Amino acid sequence: MSILAPYLSALGDFIQPIMLFHVAWATLLGIFIGSLPGLTATMGVALLTTLTYSMDRDAAILVLICMYVGAIYGGSRSAILLNIPGTPASAATALDGYPLAKAGRARYAMALATAGSALGTIVGIVLLVMVAPPLAEAALKFGSFEFFWLAVFGIVISGQLTGGVSPLKGYIAGILGLMVAMVGSEGIHAHVRFSLGYDQLNGGIALISAMVGAFGFAEVLTAISQRKPDLVTHSDKSDRMLPRLVDLWRYKFTILRSGVIGTFVGIIPGVGEDIGAWASYAAAKRTSPERELFGKGSTEGLTAAETGNSAVIPGALIPALTLAVPGSAPAAVLIAALFIHGIRPGPMIMFEQPDFIYSVAAMLTFATIAIGVFGILLTKVFVLVLKVPREYLMPLVFALCVIGPYALTQRPFEIIVMVFFGITGYLLRKMNYPVAPLVLGIILGDLLDKSLRRSLILSDGDLTPFFTRPISAGFALVIFVSVVLSLRPVRRALTGLIGRAAGKAEG
Amino acid sequence: MRLDSARADQVSALVFFVLGVAMAIGGYTMDRLEVRQIHPASIPGLVPMILGVLLALCAIGLWFGARKRVDGPDPDDVSLQNLGFAGLYTVVYALGLVGRMPFELATFIFIAVFVLHFTFERLAEGLSRLAWIASATIYAAICSAAVSALFRYAFLVRLP
Repeated sequence: MSILAPYLSALGDFIQPIMLFHVAWATLLGIFIGSLPGLTATMGVALLTTLTYSMDRDAAILVLICMYVGAIYGGSRSAILLNIPGTPASAATALDGYPLAKAGRARYAMALATAGSALGTIVGIVLLVMVAPPLAEAALKFGSFEFFWLAVFGIVISGQLTGGVSPLKGYIAGILGLMVAMVGSEGIHAHVRFSLGYDQLNGGIALISAMVGAFGFAEVLTAISQRKPDLVTHSDKSDRMLPRLVDLWRYKFTILRSGVIGTFVGIIPGVGEDIGAWASYAAAKRTSPERELFGKGSTEGLTAAETGNSAVIPGALIPALTLAVPGSAPAAVLIAALFIHGIRPGPMIMFEQPDFIYSVAAMLTFATIAIGVFGILLTKVFVLVLKVPREYLMPLVFALCVIGPYALTQRPFEIIVMVFFGITGYLLRKMNYPVAPLVLGIILGDLLDKSLRRSLILSDGDLTPFFTRPISAGFALVIFVSVVLSLRPVRRALTGLIGRAAGKAEG
Repeated sequence: MRLDSARADQVSALVFFVLGVAMAIGGYTMDRLEVRQIHPASIPGLVPMILGVLLALCAIGLWFGARKRVDGPDPDDVSLQNLGFAGLYTVVYALGLVGRMPFELATFIFIAVFVLHFTFERLAEGLSRLAWIASATIYAAICSAAVSALFRYAFLVRLP
């Protein structure tokens, strides 16, 4: 009851014509951006943040959350029709969505993706309102020792899970992000570091400018340099625009499991929607009676992937709101937007803005309803969107990438930052470095730096409390085990051991 | 050189190693603010030093990992010509045109030339030269006016 009442009250607050109008256009724009290969949710949220400066707080956050939900869902369109994920979150969707489209069932694949995304977000919303308040309360026990380990934990886990076959590249990306955060005036003694004599760098690097560059400019370069994909839109007689309830009921456990997996993947700092989708897809494949169909047009595989990636969104907002540690790259931009609009995410949020978590849950609910309505009604329009020539779209996106960061401070320096991060982001992406740990590093750099030095002042330079305080010790142990397990010789030895044990058991 | 090759990893390992060492030295030589009698454990250069050392260690790991790696087939889905033009032209617009002329004009020129360059092949597909130029310039004028008006009048930004 204590959860339901503030949630319903928040829902009621948003039932106003202007708010519903914001929900409609922002979700639609999000679906549009997500469905175009090369434009991602992070870019959409970062660019839109620059357009929300003059909005009031609730409207601005509502618009950004609708953009986030819409873009993650929109990625499924191009994954199904072009075999190119509109956003990385939809990579697993393409595995079964595109074969379904080629078999003449594109509309049904899109209908299932809509249902999966909506249900995944709902599971995530339920967990958000249940988990976030107690987590914020638990985080009140965190001191600077624990916050230091939390920042390290975020970088290590994000680097490991997004680094693919080489966690080392994930770690390097994370360290580079932390290094970027070291530029400018530090938070304890106000000493200016690494400004290289440029006054413009005294205040540090603005996250929004860096993100617009790393995601906006880098994606313009990626999109314009790749070959044009082929659109598959033909339908056979069995194709339909609404999901069959019997199919959804058959996959009820898959949907629930994928929703829970997605949400918990979202809670892990800096991991994001793509990992949520892959983890849900893998779990569904392991347990499905039709696992041989996975990758060849399985409706269950498609549902699991879409449920998983959408459930990450509320999950990623849990640590973002309660710890100020983003669960995904778009959530990192949202944190920056929250600060711009006068909300201080972190453990104090339940004291300073006790209803805000429920407001976010209500915003997510409206966005979910919007993707459900648009997903079913505007299938044909989204097919047209995919036909928009990128030669026309990309220069407009780039013009927004230039003026958006400039508008933040009205300094031309922000354009230089955007260009620098755009080129660096493009090169890192082409060299298979994940960008999420880099972003997380920029966000967590200040927390890590201040927490470490504050802790050392408190302990008079003694390192022991970092390993003896219960929560700190837990974090330290998890980080140590994660790093050791990511080392190639250790992994090889473990695989050998498991193989020998399995051999003995069979013998 | 392919950017996802082992050779590229070795080159980047070298760059990261130099960056790491530079950061560590920068942190070590940074002002320790003794005049302000701060706690020695809270010197501003502490975390940069640690990060520099960690990056240098990771770079060494990357170098040795790349030596043993064999490259897979090149996906070859990138048009270097398109990338080169887009990369150069976007930088010219952002750092050259913007600020040196009214934003509306810079954006109009940028979008029109960008569209004309990337739709040039449509002339060979039977599109008339007039229609090709008209569609690009009208589109550029509308976009430039819309973006400028949005930021100037809706967000009250003094355009560059």
